[in-house]
Amino acid sequence: MLSWIERFVSSSVGRKALMALTGLMLIGFLIAHLAGNLSLFAGDGGTAFDAYAHAISSLPILPIAEVALALLFLGHIYLAVKTTRENRRARPQGYSVTGTHGEKSFASKTMFPTGVVILAFLIKHLWDFRLQKEAFEEAPYASVQQALSDPLTASVYMLGILALGIHLSHAFGSALQSLGANHPKYTPALRAIGKVLAVALTLGFISIPIYFWLGGSSS
Amino acid sequence: MTLNLRIWRQKDSHAEGAIESYELPGVSSDMSFLEMLDILNEQLIGKGEEPVSFDHDCREGVCGSCGAMVNGQVHGPDTETTLCQLHMRRFKDGDTLQVEPWRSAAFPVLKDLVVDRSSFDRIQQAGGYVSVATGSPPDANSVPIPKDDAEAAFDYAECIGCGGCVAACPNGAAMLFTAAKVAHLKKLPQGQPERERRVLSMVDTMDKEGFGACTNHYECTAACPKGVPIDAIATMNREYLRATFFSKEGV
Ligand code: HEM
Ligand code: FES
Repeated sequence: MLSWIERFVSSSVGRKALMALTGLMLIGFLIAHLAGNLSLFAGDGGTAFDAYAHAISSLPILPIAEVALALLFLGHIYLAVKTTRENRRARPQGYSVTGTHGEKSFASKTMFPTGVVILAFLIKHLWDFRLQKEAFEEAPYASVQQALSDPLTASVYMLGILALGIHLSHAFGSALQSLGANHPKYTPALRAIGKVLAVALTLGFISIPIYFWLGGSSS
Repeated sequence: MTLNLRIWRQKDSHAEGAIESYELPGVSSDMSFLEMLDILNEQLIGKGEEPVSFDHDCREGVCGSCGAMVNGQVHGPDTETTLCQLHMRRFKDGDTLQVEPWRSAAFPVLKDLVVDRSSFDRIQQAGGYVSVATGSPPDANSVPIPKDDAEAAFDYAECIGCGGCVAACPNGAAMLFTAAKVAHLKKLPQGQPERERRVLSMVDTMDKEGFGACTNHYECTAACPKGVPIDAIATMNREYLRATFFSKEGV
């Protein structure tokens, strides 16, 4: 590999830029994913969602998109683990009393733990709907309904989505800074948009397990 | 007032340290934090014990020598205040103060509250300078600099290199220190010739010294006794991307 590329990906600043880039692309995926999933709420017994699911699964580009998405996740997670490990190594001995001057937040301090919860949820989610692909494609809406009417599954989903919400509340603004995007005219507004986006994605996704837990359109 | 001090004592860089407790009566609210430590040390010396070592020089908040964690806060509870400018009126009779050195793999403890910050010097040497022709000084204002740029550059140049940003950062990152140099010199015409090489080489050195990577807690800028703004780090990130992808450095 070219030396300047190696230097970039192994540097703290380069790694953070790549984390930000993969993270922002994952946010883009989440927006599209939620937009599609909202068809679950059509109240038509699942016709709209089934049509949407079939349209997606017959896309010729789907295998490539799936590989790309998996790489985004793996890349983000690899960089997160490496950065977290190096950051722990940078302070081998901690303080006996920890204080603050008021900037670090619950979300900023828990990016790694929330990430791990997201990953656990993701594995469960893939198990439910991707690894049992045949069952899902036969009756998409019914299999969502079946999975989420189980209180345990619905709770795991809600927990995973809450962790995602906390992760996102720090992530968007953080990513802009990591990519060097900071301007007195736009940064305050963009950071606010990031928070709104985090809340909107959390409420949007969490409404799905709640809806089916409460019985969905069949009740 | 009487204070209960709990201070990190460590004989040398190889010794195991521990927190020791001292009761200090007769502390005046007009004393600075360092003067309070001086009083403690006089008592310790009187008793034939080893005084507490701490760094200090100017004692007026400009040199960057002093610094310690007070109850987990860099330079104590005040904002934009060095330890030497922290005054005991900030505390009240009977308070317990936990005093510890900066903690960072790149700042090994030498003794008690004194840490070795030469890693900062090496980051500085890696690019925190400008090349100028020596000789007689140039005429004042021979290089025009817009006032806004001069002021922004000065905000970054206010960094006194105390290391508080590293101590405050949950990741032990030295990004605010390094970024202050990069952003300062980027703003000025004198900084342009080494612009790309500077950021690449300073970040390289920062990583090699064992500092962490920024995850944007922004705790550094809140703890900074000079209030070096957080946009310095965004500027450094941008400069790093620019130097990597849009310059011939490192081909
Ligand atoms: C859909 C899932 C996810 C999205 C949308 C997402 C998004 C983001 C974004 C945008 C950032 C900010 C990057 C930066 O400032 O450079 C970030 C940071 C981070 N992520 Fe994720 N992430 C996701 C999943 C995960 C997972 C599964 C893990 C770990 C197992 C993880 C761990 C981290 C860590 C440790 C950080 C660093 C904190 C920081 O720099 O602000 N993330 N994430
Ligand atoms: S002793 Fe100089 S800044 Fe505190």
